[in-house]
Amino acid sequence: MIKKIVFNIAIVFLVVFVLDFAIGRTLQHFYFKEKSGACFQITYSMETTKADILVFGASTARHHYVPEVFEGTLEGTFYNTGQNALGIFFQLAMLESVLKRYTPRVIILDAEDSFEKEKSSYERLSCLLPYYREHKEIRKIVELRSPFERVKMISKIYPFNSHVLTVLGMNLNIIKGDELYNKGYVPLDGQWENKIYPTDTYAAYMVDPNKVIAFKEFIVRAKKSGASIFVVYPPILQELNIRQEIEIRREICLNEKVPFWDFSSNVLFYNNKGLFVDMVHLNHDGAMLFSKLIAAKIKDAINKRMP
Amino acid sequence: MNFTSFNFLIFFPLLVILYYATPAKYRYITLLIASYFFYINIKPVFALITAGVTLSTYLFTSLMGRTNTGPWKKRFMVINIILILLPLFFFKYFNNINAGIFALLELFHLKWPLPKIKLFLPIGISFYTFMAIGYTVDVYNEEIESEKNIGILALFVSFFPSILSGPIERAKNMLPQFKAQINLDYNMVSQGLKFMLWGYFMKLVVADRLGIYVDAIYGNIYQHNGTSLLFASFLYPFQEYADFGGYSLIAIGTARILGINVMQNFNRPFLATSMSEFWRRWHISLISWLTDYVYTPLSFSFRKYKVWGIVIALMITFFISGIWHGAALTFVVWGLMQGLFLSIEALTNKEKSIFEKKHNLSKKSWYISIGVCFTFLLFAASEVFARTTNINDAFTVYRRIFTVSGTLFIGRLSILIYGIFGLSILLLKDLRDEFAPSWFLLFENKHKFVRVIAYSSIIILILLIGVFDGGQFIYYQF
Repeated sequence: MIKKIVFNIAIVFLVVFVLDFAIGRTLQHFYFKEKSGACFQITYSMETTKADILVFGASTARHHYVPEVFEGTLEGTFYNTGQNALGIFFQLAMLESVLKRYTPRVIILDAEDSFEKEKSSYERLSCLLPYYREHKEIRKIVELRSPFERVKMISKIYPFNSHVLTVLGMNLNIIKGDELYNKGYVPLDGQWENKIYPTDTYAAYMVDPNKVIAFKEFIVRAKKSGASIFVVYPPILQELNIRQEIEIRREICLNEKVPFWDFSSNVLFYNNKGLFVDMVHLNHDGAMLFSKLIAAKIKDAINKRMP
Repeated sequence: MNFTSFNFLIFFPLLVILYYATPAKYRYITLLIASYFFYINIKPVFALITAGVTLSTYLFTSLMGRTNTGPWKKRFMVINIILILLPLFFFKYFNNINAGIFALLELFHLKWPLPKIKLFLPIGISFYTFMAIGYTVDVYNEEIESEKNIGILALFVSFFPSILSGPIERAKNMLPQFKAQINLDYNMVSQGLKFMLWGYFMKLVVADRLGIYVDAIYGNIYQHNGTSLLFASFLYPFQEYADFGGYSLIAIGTARILGINVMQNFNRPFLATSMSEFWRRWHISLISWLTDYVYTPLSFSFRKYKVWGIVIALMITFFISGIWHGAALTFVVWGLMQGLFLSIEALTNKEKSIFEKKHNLSKKSWYISIGVCFTFLLFAASEVFARTTNINDAFTVYRRIFTVSGTLFIGRLSILIYGIFGLSILLLKDLRDEFAPSWFLLFENKHKFVRVIAYSSIIILILLIGVFDGGQFIYYQF
């Protein structure tokens, strides 16, 4: 009887193994053939870009840094690797992959994503799973999700879980993404027209030490590479619960002697509804103004360092 | 550790090997150790409460067993019920009772502010507390003898497949099984694996995917229009069914592989044609527990009021059911709504039966369809209270459904497509099982090839579109 049970389970496993291999490999092939969209942008950032100026960050990075402004002011090529809702772990993984290939001249880290301990920060690292096999440098970061990631990767489908429709849509040109043409920058339209509700600016929450370590590691790795690194806290429409976050960043940057520019209370932006689409995201006009300020500051800083 | 964690996929096969390698006489010990290991992996301190409930129940039921008649037997039962309810009340209701007392004192201008105590509700406490109470009452009523072996009783309370979210089992079903010499049975293992596979499909492909959409809408009710809120309110009952039904199937399947039969918890609830039928198909173990230990004694006490006695018993039973689900006004309203629906059915049952007979309606498919839709609507309407965090939010959802028009929020289209695809498979299977159980057999097909392809396809579907980072099972919070 035990033989019968084991035999039947083995048959199912064998069929699953064959199907998993065939479907997984097909998905992998078409995933890396995508020519637009968020997944393509990750692939392009990790494996192709050789831009002189690279922006790292989450959604505020994606929507706040206008390529033409930086290219014009700093005289170099530009690319924005920012991805919505992907925090410091993703940014560190991205940096590791970039530095394996080349060293950008300027690295801007838009450090807006929270240091709060959240399970979702680890879960979202699933977007790096398609790269796990080929990019050894990111494995340590992906394995923060769970100690079993290496085992789960036995499945060829697993890295492409939930990607099937996007892969189909992108390859059949049903879905279109425009990130390539904006060099990673995605402008936002509109203005904040709602009321500004007061928030509890001193609500306590648990800081994730892994995030703080990753932030520090990002700065140390970028500095060691020889790139000029600048850390920016982006503008916000209204005071949020961020003081603790900013102080952690400021202290690390101070210790590492890296410029840290805090725009969270900047008078040009604070309470200026015309420049925001929501509490934290600038519209295109806001992004233009912000980009000009940052680009000029970077230019000044670089010029001052030059003999 | 929970059923969807990777740890469980390692733990369970190892346990099965160890379990069947242990001499049959001592298998319950292996299972007891495994159950505590499973539970300790969630939070070690929780196991102390489980052990306390077991010890108290063992002590007092043993005393009841030695006391044949007289008031002491009843006293022992009452003392034990109070003792095992204490942790449940403390962890589940302490903060609410506290807040209530402060609010009451404030009415008399007495302010006595104390900081809130942040308590983590021990997972499964509501389930195993009910199981221990049921056992105590059964011993009191002499339906079963008090268990002499504390290990067997401890296993009944902590049995890992059902400790987290039920099914709320009965001692008379479980204790003899734990004592029996269980041998490896091919059919039991095969059925168990099928249940587990389908349970994982329900949880990972349907529940967690629909949950992403429902959470997006219900997490921000003030930003969404009535169309989106209505759609999310229709999806939520399906999410809950796939979540809790999926959990239950994994639990039943796990137990069955170990040679233990655990009662069914769901039976295609959304094909019920009335609320009374719905409650015979939804969370069966809780409702049968409430029927035996609350509703039946109550309706017996109120029998002199005839049909109104039934109404009172129904309202009290579902009020308790609401409170059991959570210490919030929303759950009280939810419970009372169920009581109200069932009471109306009880009051109109006679007329309804005469009308159906007169027009020969009970077998007409259009009439059945109307009944199914109406029952679903009633349940979905009540579930707004179960899903929202407070009563204001629940009324806001209703208000916005009727007053704020707009286009449906889609978010990421793929999430909805995957979710609805999974849900369609689930509902089609339920329809087939209900109306044509011999049609289109896959898991039960006589050809092995078809069965293997069916199992493999479900596994591949889980790998392709299952949500692996989904939240915990909804019923863990109860």
